Amino acid sequence: MTTPLELSTRHDGNGTTVVTAAGEIDMSNAARFRDALSQAGADGTDITVDLTKVNYLDSAGLTALLPYAPRIRIIATPVLAPVLAVSGLDPVTTVVP
Amino acid sequence: MRDGGWEHLVFPGGGEMVQRMRDYPWEESALGDPRDWPSSLRTACRICLTSRFPMIVWWGPELRFLYNDAYMPLLGDKHPALGLPGREVWSEIWNTIGPMLDSVLSTGEATWSEDLLLPMRRHAYWEETYWTYSYSPLHDETGTVCGVFTAVTDSTEQVVGRRRLAALQDLGAQAGRGREVAEVCDLAVRTLSRAGQVVPYAAIYLRDPDGGFAGGGAALAASSTADPVPDWPVGQVLSTGQPLTLTDVTQRFGPLPSGDWPDPPAEAMVLPLRGDGGGDPVGVIVLAATAGRALDAAYQDFLGLVARQTAALVNGAIAYQAQLHRAEELAELDHAKTTFFSNISHEFRTPLTLIMGPVEELRQRLGPADGAARAELDVIHRNGLRLGKLVNSLLDFSRIEAGRMRADYEPVDLSAFTAELASVFRSAIERAGLAYQVDCPALSSPVDVDREMWEKIVLNLLSNALKFTIEGAVTVTLSEKDGQALLRVADTGAGIPRAELPRLFDRFYRVQNVRARSNEGSGIGLALVRELVGLHHGTISVESTEREGTAFTVRLPFSHPAGTETAPDAEPGDSSSVLAAADPYVQEAMRWLPPDDGAADVAAAVGVSEPEQARTAGAPGAPHVLLADDNADMREYLQRLLLPGYRVTTVTDGLAALDAARSRRPDLVISDVMMPGLDGLGLVAALRADPRTADVPVLLLSARAGQEAAIEGLDAGADDYLVKPFSAAELLARVRTSVQLSRMRSQHARWRAALIESLHEAFYLCGPDGTVLEINSAFADMLGYGAVGLPYPAPHPWWPDQQSDPEGYRMAQDAYRDIGERPGGSFTVPFTHRDGHRVWVAGIFNEVNDQDNGRLVVGTLRDITAEHYAIQRDSALAALGHILAGAASMADTLRDTLGELHRLWHARRVVAAIWTDEASPSVTASGRDVSWPTLPEQMRGALAGLRDQPPLIPEVASGGAGVRLEHPSGTLTIWIDLTGGRVLTAEDQTLLSLVCGRLGQALHRAHQIDEQRETALALQRAILGPPQLPIGFSARYEPATRPLEVGGDWHDIMALPDGRIAIVVGDCVGHDLGAATVMGQLRSACRALLLQDARPGPMLAAMDRFAASVPGAEFTTVFCAILDPATGQLTYSAAGHPPGIVAYPDGGTHLLESARSFPLATVPQIERGEARWTLPPRSTLLLYTDGLVERRDRCLTDGIAEAGAAVVAGGEDSLEDLATQLMRRLTPPGGYGDDVAIVLYRHPAPLDLSFPAGTGQLRPVRARLRGWLDGCGLSTLLAQDALVAAGEAVANAIEHGHRDLPGSQIRLQATVTANLLRITVADTGHWLAPGSERIPYRGKGIPLMRALMDNVSIDAGQAGTTVTMDVRIASDNPA
Repeated sequence: MTTPLELSTRHDGNGTTVVTAAGEIDMSNAARFRDALSQAGADGTDITVDLTKVNYLDSAGLTALLPYAPRIRIIATPVLAPVLAVSGLDPVTTVVP
Repeated sequence: MRDGGWEHLVFPGGGEMVQRMRDYPWEESALGDPRDWPSSLRTACRICLTSRFPMIVWWGPELRFLYNDAYMPLLGDKHPALGLPGREVWSEIWNTIGPMLDSVLSTGEATWSEDLLLPMRRHAYWEETYWTYSYSPLHDETGTVCGVFTAVTDSTEQVVGRRRLAALQDLGAQAGRGREVAEVCDLAVRTLSRAGQVVPYAAIYLRDPDGGFAGGGAALAASSTADPVPDWPVGQVLSTGQPLTLTDVTQRFGPLPSGDWPDPPAEAMVLPLRGDGGGDPVGVIVLAATAGRALDAAYQDFLGLVARQTAALVNGAIAYQAQLHRAEELAELDHAKTTFFSNISHEFRTPLTLIMGPVEELRQRLGPADGAARAELDVIHRNGLRLGKLVNSLLDFSRIEAGRMRADYEPVDLSAFTAELASVFRSAIERAGLAYQVDCPALSSPVDVDREMWEKIVLNLLSNALKFTIEGAVTVTLSEKDGQALLRVADTGAGIPRAELPRLFDRFYRVQNVRARSNEGSGIGLALVRELVGLHHGTISVESTEREGTAFTVRLPFSHPAGTETAPDAEPGDSSSVLAAADPYVQEAMRWLPPDDGAADVAAAVGVSEPEQARTAGAPGAPHVLLADDNADMREYLQRLLLPGYRVTTVTDGLAALDAARSRRPDLVISDVMMPGLDGLGLVAALRADPRTADVPVLLLSARAGQEAAIEGLDAGADDYLVKPFSAAELLARVRTSVQLSRMRSQHARWRAALIESLHEAFYLCGPDGTVLEINSAFADMLGYGAVGLPYPAPHPWWPDQQSDPEGYRMAQDAYRDIGERPGGSFTVPFTHRDGHRVWVAGIFNEVNDQDNGRLVVGTLRDITAEHYAIQRDSALAALGHILAGAASMADTLRDTLGELHRLWHARRVVAAIWTDEASPSVTASGRDVSWPTLPEQMRGALAGLRDQPPLIPEVASGGAGVRLEHPSGTLTIWIDLTGGRVLTAEDQTLLSLVCGRLGQALHRAHQIDEQRETALALQRAILGPPQLPIGFSARYEPATRPLEVGGDWHDIMALPDGRIAIVVGDCVGHDLGAATVMGQLRSACRALLLQDARPGPMLAAMDRFAASVPGAEFTTVFCAILDPATGQLTYSAAGHPPGIVAYPDGGTHLLESARSFPLATVPQIERGEARWTLPPRSTLLLYTDGLVERRDRCLTDGIAEAGAAVVAGGEDSLEDLATQLMRRLTPPGGYGDDVAIVLYRHPAPLDLSFPAGTGQLRPVRARLRGWLDGCGLSTLLAQDALVAAGEAVANAIEHGHRDLPGSQIRLQATVTANLLRITVADTGHWLAPGSERIPYRGKGIPLMRALMDNVSIDAGQAGTTVTMDVRIASDNPA
């Protein structure tokens, strides 16, 4: 049984792909998250990852994010901020309350 | 529930009885369909089934039986009994409980029964059981009582436990009451007879010392029946030392006494009574078990304890008897010594006089001219001296005894020397018609011996052989074996009866009724030989067969021991000295043999009879001397002496002398004191009474040395008195004086001299400067300083040494000052005899003013050594008795006794070592504490060496003395380190021996007390219940200080069915056994009540009623709290108990002091309130009894504040550490004086999860952890960090730790203290190092953990990997 995680991908008008996740991301479902990112980034466009509905993210999730670091923008709540900062993703992260 | 049906509503929960009730065909039963049951029955049924406490519901007129799972074991074989009428279920006790149940039904009033005896048959035998239970009425809708509800406690174990404890205590209390073994056995059995409920039959068998008993070497010592059972397998138990359990007692032996139980015992144990220090059994004890209780492990343990207690009593008596025996031996020895000294003078003085007197006289008369006669006289003279030496050797014997004899070793050719000694006996032995064989081959080297002593050894043995051998042979052999020289002197004589052999070498012991050449003998020869051999560090042994002969074997080492001196350049022995030494022995032996024609000299010595008329000889004009003596030799000798100058008339007794004197008045009468008919004193009186002879001078002669004899003589009117032995010159001088000067001499002057000499007490005369000018012989005897050394200036040589005995020196100085300054007075001081031994004297003095000399002092001294030591011994023993009576532990007993020994002998210190199986002994010393390694090498050697000594025989060495005795844990050696070369005298040694005997007994008693306390503690802890606590709790229980105090405090933590936890801390009045039994009942009652209704207030109110019915339970204080571990909410109520303490993480405290009221059963019928308090996250709760905080010298609030501060200070410690620290930190000096019980809880309780390795577990585990973290009062961010870090550790454990073992268990634990959060994740696998190629992305996990937590440690061991993560909780974190 994997941890429930809802993923959706859409393209905004400005050539950026937006991946929205809701739930918890851990080892049991990180592969799906990685696949979603991989599809979104397949054409080389910038990616926005909206994690505001994610309340748990561990190293498995971080490992999926890191390969896209140069062209990624992350939106997250303060709860995830320490984890993202530890991984060096804070410059591309916007923290929203 | 919806699909479960109505059965699940009426019979909720799970378990066997729930299932049985759901399946039960109720419609067919008298109780009917449960859906139609009254609501009270349904409620009662629900309570019953959901409770873990044994409960019953009786319902309907037949009281049909409903019960829960907890009650099942109480039913035994009667289960299942669901729905049966009560009368059928409990038919055997219905006569007791039936009326009680009826009374509840009819009156509606509840009953309470406590420890009620109900004899049951639930396991196929009649069992003695005790129950505590309450019958409460159950009403139906109409209010009619239709049933009874019961909560039951089986209190059998407690009741039986109390009885067993009481029996053991009673037995323990018998220690020291009996002195003889038989008496003690009888006492033990009689004590056990009083405890017939637990030991219906007891018998003790003791090992038969001769082993001649058909029962296997044991004899019956005591039995609780008049007619003992003969066939117990005592022999088997005695030989194996293993206890036996018999289960067919009734079949084998018929009915034994049954105690209070109707059936006779079926089972019994035969147990060994172990000897002291785990030695062979001294006997066995047979203990029957009551038929009412199964002989289970607890019962067997109890009987084992009874056997141990009994063994301790028996061993105590054995030790006492051994001590008594030793004391008797010492007394006997003392008596023998006195006999010896009183015999000496009389035995030897007369013959000595007869030898030395004539010889001296002859030598002077002969002059140098007659060479041959003079040579013969020299031989006689030498032998006379030899005889004198014999007397001295007897005195030597006493010196050996006192350890003052030293051997002067010289290397001797022992073969030649021995052969020479043996040869001098040849003529005597051959003349006796015996074969004589001497075989002394040369030895490999000279042997270090004292020549004089060796002479005595050989000559005594030869003389002995000749004396007891009538026919056959005497053989002397010298050989060499195992580095020792062997002398064997064998004969074919009378032999010695086997029974006499052990005493053969005892002083003055003479084998009776043995055929011998002579009946003479002092019984000293063999004793002296043994002592002399002993001085050479050799041994002597004897083999003998009656009527076949005896052989003595002496073994000597070739070299003398190191540290003794050898005379340098010793001269080889010369024959003449050997002959001189042997002469007395040979001459004595010759006199045993029949007269020989060629031995006229010997025949002459035997004595020639003479006619008994008065005979007169000598020149008619010479002064006339009348001589009266019954001894012909003496008469002849004196006559020979006197004839040249006097005319001598000899008579043989006093009457003849009186006749002779009356018929012709002599110029002088010389008379022996002791004569047949009229003795010397009678003669004097008769002469004085007759005017014709009233002024005839009389000279009395006596062998009696006592001064009172002289006084008697002089008192009777004798003019002079002469004691044998006397020299010829002395006699002649006295005679001359008496005859020529009698009227010129002042009778007064002679009176003075005689009076002084005749004083029992030592007399002295001091000059003005304290110099001693004159003394009498008693003085010389007492202190060893004779008249020859006069004058003795002060300080006198008999004063104690200032260095080694400053105290004694000061006493002598004080006495001397008194003598110098005061006109008269008395004193008691220690003096030192010339030979070194101590003499205590009591002195009296008076000053005399002499015209010529100025101030003189006369005084007397009395020897009070014996009295002094007796007083010292009595007071030391009294002091010791006081110490030993009060000492409760072995350590105290030993330390106090050492202190007493220290005081007694002014020792530098006294050290004791207890030798067990350990490498080095444990050491105790008087004064400062010491340890074995810090002791001087010499002292360690002495203590170790003492282990080989026989027990209680003091060993005296330079610098001190030591002794060995038995200690309950091994061997105890004691060394007394003495100052300044002081040596323990024989009296001191006797005292040491006595003291140590008492010490041994006292140690034994203290050991028993220690054991009893351990036993009592073990039983009490059994009452306290299992130490299993719910998670998050710690507790401590400490009974009051030793000795033998058990407690009335208790604590109880109990998980309730609804998930809450009940905590009870209570304190009964007192901390003795009575308090402990009350405590056990209260604790059980609290439990039962809380299971029924988990509200502290009503529970305590019910306890008020209960406590009122239990003697000793009033004024018990109780604190009861119900904790909801999920929320930290506490509901509590206190009955006179000190308030609980809550310590906050910020350092504050709160006291749980609402809802306080009186102790239990203080005021009838009070409302008991309740209060609530919520434990904030990371706070710590402390509940305790007043022993923790109450001190005599300060107020309770200070103590509570101190306890609160201690809990706050330990806010960071784990709960177990905190409990330990708290008990230690609050310990008053000298230990807790009262029982202490504490309970600690920290909120929230730790989280402990175990789950199988699998990714599916990630989310549920995270959810549990998140919920727990929420309860810890952390900030959201900190909680999230901890969650992620823990998640990483769990993911690692799943991913790496168990890649080879999917499904293995992972354990996550989380604990929080005031300011630290710790999470531990443990698996059973092995991780790869971070950055490993195989699974690259997981490498991020560990850095992430380290970044989020303060401290991460990963411990990868063989058994698996454990990650421990700590994070500090900042103080501004909301709590």
